Amino acid sequence: MKKLYILVAMLLVSITALAQDGRSLYNKYSDYDNVEAVYISPAMFRLIGKIPDVKMEGENVNLGPVIKSLSGLYILSIKQGAVADELAADVNHFIKKGQYELLMEAKESGEVTRMYTVGDDSVVNSFVMLSHAGAETNFICLDGTIPRDKLEELIADAAKD
Amino acid sequence: MKSIDEITRLSAEDLERISLDESIPVPEELSARVQAAVRKPARWVLPAGVAAAVATLVAVGLTLTQNPEPKDTFDDPYLAYAEVEKVFAKISGTVAYGAEKVSQSEQTLDKLSYWK
Repeated sequence: MKKLYILVAMLLVSITALAQDGRSLYNKYSDYDNVEAVYISPAMFRLIGKIPDVKMEGENVNLGPVIKSLSGLYILSIKQGAVADELAADVNHFIKKGQYELLMEAKESGEVTRMYTVGDDSVVNSFVMLSHAGAETNFICLDGTIPRDKLEELIADAAKD
Repeated sequence: MKSIDEITRLSAEDLERISLDESIPVPEELSARVQAAVRKPARWVLPAGVAAAVATLVAVGLTLTQNPEPKDTFDDPYLAYAEVEKVFAKISGTVAYGAEKVSQSEQTLDKLSYWK
């Protein structure tokens, strides 16, 4: 009987861990006061994918291949001390639980920005960017089956311009 | 009597031929020995499976009801696209900043190695 309890407990813990994603954070914080929240659904990404020329304004960077592979975009921007700190802590928790890999970290005038990805060598299933500075936290989460080479190429090209 | 090694080397046709050969006597206690050798699953396996399935259904149900899909912020795909563009510009800006710092560090290292 002990084995049964252990099995059920492990199952519930793993399912709860799976439930911690960009969506759950968005649902938790998007209704707070002084929070800017943006969500773009898979259906909207399909519509965007039908726009004929999806290039970044003023730059020769084609977003098309990456946009078609996206299935969700969650943005939260909080400029309110305690809640901003809570969001940063929650994101860090979900990063650890989700086995995200640190892509890069940049520090500038007290602002710490970290980028994380989870997936394999060829596909990124989720990209997270977290910026935290004093009383402000910005969280961006892109979900999908994004070809890693296309994403890296896109970011590198845009950074060059 | 054949050894296990000899039996494993036999082809499927040989095994079928031997099994159909009624001249080979079958030991009387063989059936009982086979049944004894086959382990019955532990008593907790079935209830554990049922409990795990129920727990999975409950957890999935709770996850779906407590974490519904949010409402789209934009109705217009062009506005949504503009937001995606802003996001990529922000990401690229951070990457560019990082790349610039790496380049500055490399230049400093080059200067240091020149004066050595």
